[in-house]
Amino acid sequence: MSTIEKLKKDFEHYRAQADASAFAQQRESAFVELQKLGIPSIKHEEWKYTNLKFINDIPFQASCLHTEAAKTYYTQNIVQTLKANRLVFINGSFEATLTQIQPEDAGIIITNLASARIAHADMFSKHFGKYATVEGIALNAMNTALMSDGAFIYVPEGKQTAYPIIITNISDASEVNVLNQPRNLIVVEKNAAATVIESFFAFGNHASFCNIVNEVYVGENASLEHYKLQRLLGEHYQNNYTQVFQEGNTHINQVTLTLDGKFVRNNLHFYMNGENCNTLLYGLYLLDGNQFVDNHTRVDHAKPNCFSDEKYKGILKDKSTAVFNGKIMVHLDAQKTNAYQRNQNILLSDEATVNTKPQLEIFADDVKCTHGATVGQLDEEPMFYMRSRGIPENVARKLLLNAFADDIAEKIKIPELVAILEEQIEKKI
Amino acid sequence: MLEIRNLKAEIEGKKILNGINLTVNPGEVHAIMGPNGAGKSTLSSVLAGRADYEVTEGEIMFEGKNLLEMSPEDRAREGVFLAFQYPVEIPGVSTTNFLKTAINETRKYKGLEPMEATDFLKFMREKMELMEMDKSLTSRSLNEGFSGGEKKRNEVFQMAMLEPKLAIMDETDSGLDIDALRLVSNGVNKLRNKDRSFVVITHYQRLLDYIVPDFVHVLYKGRIVKSGDASLAKELEVKGYDWIKAEVEAAQ
Repeated sequence: MSTIEKLKKDFEHYRAQADASAFAQQRESAFVELQKLGIPSIKHEEWKYTNLKFINDIPFQASCLHTEAAKTYYTQNIVQTLKANRLVFINGSFEATLTQIQPEDAGIIITNLASARIAHADMFSKHFGKYATVEGIALNAMNTALMSDGAFIYVPEGKQTAYPIIITNISDASEVNVLNQPRNLIVVEKNAAATVIESFFAFGNHASFCNIVNEVYVGENASLEHYKLQRLLGEHYQNNYTQVFQEGNTHINQVTLTLDGKFVRNNLHFYMNGENCNTLLYGLYLLDGNQFVDNHTRVDHAKPNCFSDEKYKGILKDKSTAVFNGKIMVHLDAQKTNAYQRNQNILLSDEATVNTKPQLEIFADDVKCTHGATVGQLDEEPMFYMRSRGIPENVARKLLLNAFADDIAEKIKIPELVAILEEQIEKKI
Repeated sequence: MLEIRNLKAEIEGKKILNGINLTVNPGEVHAIMGPNGAGKSTLSSVLAGRADYEVTEGEIMFEGKNLLEMSPEDRAREGVFLAFQYPVEIPGVSTTNFLKTAINETRKYKGLEPMEATDFLKFMREKMELMEMDKSLTSRSLNEGFSGGEKKRNEVFQMAMLEPKLAIMDETDSGLDIDALRLVSNGVNKLRNKDRSFVVITHYQRLLDYIVPDFVHVLYKGRIVKSGDASLAKELEVKGYDWIKAEVEAAQ
């Protein structure tokens, strides 16, 4: 049975329970789009280096299994010292017993999407599916048609989160090959401010595939600190799509940390729909073994006087592979755009690979845009210099790699996250 | 302290050092001079353990130990310091962190506990005053964006911190204006004592006006062809290297 046929069976199961809502309609048309598109192959330009063949090859089940193992895993492996609001999803479904809400943040809606669809129907229908398009994007269509549950965050006008909101997604493949399709919707209204951490874990002896879609709306003059932390062990595949829609005068600091992952594809899109936006997007990937990570980013400067700064850095060991594709689209109206982009990689082995592709498409004439990509090894001169002062090779390497990663670490405003990053660098080197 | 016997070395099959003999006793300052391409920088690289060079013959003994068998870090921990001709910029690593790591790794090698953070800072402050270092330099990334003079002063500052037994200075005067030269030389002179030895490699005599050597050696075609006292450097300043080249050719 082909993947699409299998998904069709799942979809018919959903459809049987569906109501006559606009939401059901959205899913219906998403499924039509998915059938039309099929799963993209490497002939598709956007998937040239990233092979989705595993979706056909591995018999995944859309399971919402909650094992005790996952809960134990959560309590043992996830930083509990950080005071935060927490929502936890295991295999795509909501684990309400692990929810934590700080009293100071009672004015902010932090709940699961399935209940928000009923309880906050207005907000849901105003934003859901409005930013992450399904047209031409098969995996978004697949998520929209077959999504399970996810986080719903609503920061009302003028409010600020007192503590970060941590959305944890755990893929537990300890019993079967699981397919998770979570869906998050984050709305930060006018003059509001929020800190959101998306934390991804995977474990278990079977394979898991997490196909997640995040929609983020940031209203006029609002700001968002947004972190993604991917620690994905075992046979885990992840397609992580995020669409951020920004009104004018918004400020966003986004950091993506991929610290482990057999197969990760991040699609991160920003659309600046107003003037004077600041969009900062940074990423760091630390890969070893046969790990593979692909960061596809796209920044749309649709209006004048916006600033974007992008820097992705990678450290690759063993036979790992990284892909970077950064597109900056400066629309005709977007005069006085400032856009910067860099991708820098250090290969610690002859067998590691990086495919990097910056893409600038500029339709306005008064703009400042730069981009650059480097792929190299740890330089021998700094290494020798340090050794000649009595610092042994392994310590010198660690200092140099920490220094390399520091650029990104300093963009992280939560010390607990920096600590996780440093620990991981220590472990991987 | 340092005993170099019949040292021969090459890089990529090209012979650079052709039998160097040199003995340096504690407290002595030896200047190695010579025309471009004589092998001066190769000698310093071989002493510090740069991997690009292959030693084909001879030996280097440092305090009775075979230096050539040691890794660059072990040479440093045993007390050999190389002041680089081109100090390396290391973005993201502060001079403070770098030196703390270097000192504590050396202490570990000697079986000592790491230095307490407060003791380290106090020690560093003393050395900074001694070397007339600007405080801001130590919190900045190592050598990053430093001027030529600042880089060289930072080398001498590192020397002061690491307190080597033997300091090799590779063309420390290159690229320095007269003020920077004086500052660097003052720093070096403050570190001179009866136990610490220096090998000062230079193309020009002017550095030796400030750091007065006990011995001057002329390196040519990978060998020491003439040795003398500080007056030899003066003579070279006046007469250049051609007369030495001629002497060598005639002797062959």
